[in-house]
Amino acid sequence: MAALLELQGVTAGYGGGDILHELDLKVEEGGVTCIVGPNGAGKSTVLRVVSGLLRPRLGTIRFRGRSIAGLSPRAILQRGIVQVPQERSLFATMTVWENVRMGAYTVHDGALIERRLQQVCDTFSIVRDRRYEPAASLSGGQQKIVEFARALMLDPALVILDEPSMGLDPKTRTTVFDTIRAMNQAGRTILLVEQNARSGLGLASHGVVMESGRIRLEGPGPSVLNNPEIGRLYLGATA
Amino acid sequence: MTLVLEAAALGILTGGVYALMASGLTLIFGVMRIINVGQGALVILGAYLSFAFFRSWHLDPLLTLVITMPLMFGLGVILQIVFIRPLKTDREALSVLVTYALALGIEGALGYVFTTNYVQLRAWYETASFAVFGFHITYVYVFGFLLCIAILGALFLVLYRTSFGGALRATMLNRTAAQLIGVDVDRVSAIAFGIGVATAAAGGVVFGITNAFNPGSHYDLISRLLTIIVLGGLGSLRGAIIAALIMLVTEDITAVVISPVWATFVFFVILVVVLIFRPQGLFGVRVRDRI
Repeated sequence: MAALLELQGVTAGYGGGDILHELDLKVEEGGVTCIVGPNGAGKSTVLRVVSGLLRPRLGTIRFRGRSIAGLSPRAILQRGIVQVPQERSLFATMTVWENVRMGAYTVHDGALIERRLQQVCDTFSIVRDRRYEPAASLSGGQQKIVEFARALMLDPALVILDEPSMGLDPKTRTTVFDTIRAMNQAGRTILLVEQNARSGLGLASHGVVMESGRIRLEGPGPSVLNNPEIGRLYLGATA
Repeated sequence: MTLVLEAAALGILTGGVYALMASGLTLIFGVMRIINVGQGALVILGAYLSFAFFRSWHLDPLLTLVITMPLMFGLGVILQIVFIRPLKTDREALSVLVTYALALGIEGALGYVFTTNYVQLRAWYETASFAVFGFHITYVYVFGFLLCIAILGALFLVLYRTSFGGALRATMLNRTAAQLIGVDVDRVSAIAFGIGVATAAAGGVVFGITNAFNPGSHYDLISRLLTIIVLGGLGSLRGAIIAALIMLVTEDITAVVISPVWATFVFFVILVVVLIFRPQGLFGVRVRDRI
């Protein structure tokens, strides 16, 4: 498959220090790319440079062959890349409906917004069922699903998910991963960062293991998951 | 009893003016997470601008708002772009220093242009009053209150009925998430700062009609405005309005029932009691820092 997103030699960080060191990464169109690794490996930083929240110091980032490095989050969003951040990101006192509608903030075609709302409601029934309730009244898992719904309001080509299962109980986590799988099957390319390496790599068509701002290993998700060294280091295996 | 009711009515009317001034302050905090300690000086600047138009062109002080509010809005946008936007790290602490420096700069410039003598805006409604159920109410307080209702009403309409208002509320609630849905938070912040400074112009004109002022009058004013937004909850417009009414009604009733000496003290007792049970203020949201 063709690379939808390609990072080449990306160096980035905060303040005076670099977190990412000449990182190369390809995200294939139509797949699920999952990045795993220990805390501080730079996983979330990769997502921040892709979505425009952090400017890379060096290197190129190409989306559909065109450079997006250094563009504003809004410009990157308009090119079809949407990020759902790690922390809860719904607007707490707005209703579920207002939150989802805000996902189309950059769209100015009213009919298109209504059509997307309809599609999102068909995919995520919670949006219709709880539409008048403030977002803060939803459980953590429900909030995550509504965040996904909001992200889809732009009909993005690439959905970036930063640790979507963080803080969720096992049952809700399963629901969230099922939803990610369904989004992928509907044609979305997913770039996922996940602390829960087993679940993330189990879902991924392409797995990436990061360490100290560099890629240590990559390959098909199941093969990365079954790599003995990676299993011993990151997945708690005893072999 | 009549005196108490009269004091309560006056407290509500003057509370509206403080609500207007404090709403700008809390709006700026909500969007940018900065405390604009220069808001008091901007109110005084607004009062002096009206004073200048009143003195030169003999315009009615309230009518000068047609000129001073857009001027102050523009000034607010420029101040945000020049002084606040460059603050990238530790902006909460640095913004206090920057806006305090701004207040001192405004005080100095006003002192240079207008001297430090006290002045007051004059209008026919400054002392004229009318009777309602035996109370005597001065027109200026009613006009000031109506002005506040009109401006705060317009502000709420913008916030809850427009796309820009949605972006502004989104930025207040979660800045990063707002960026990720395409809100240009720099632009929203500049406009919010402009709106906050424009409300200072409106508050300033009513303050200038009801009080004699000089360039140093902002010190007392900012301490009262900060107290109001702390009681109401930082970043909450509704909180700022209710806290302003509580402050002024409490002070005015205490002044009549006990003594003017105790007026501020009683309000601060209420403030301390509220903060013991609700450290985030009446309508504030409790935030835990990540560690």
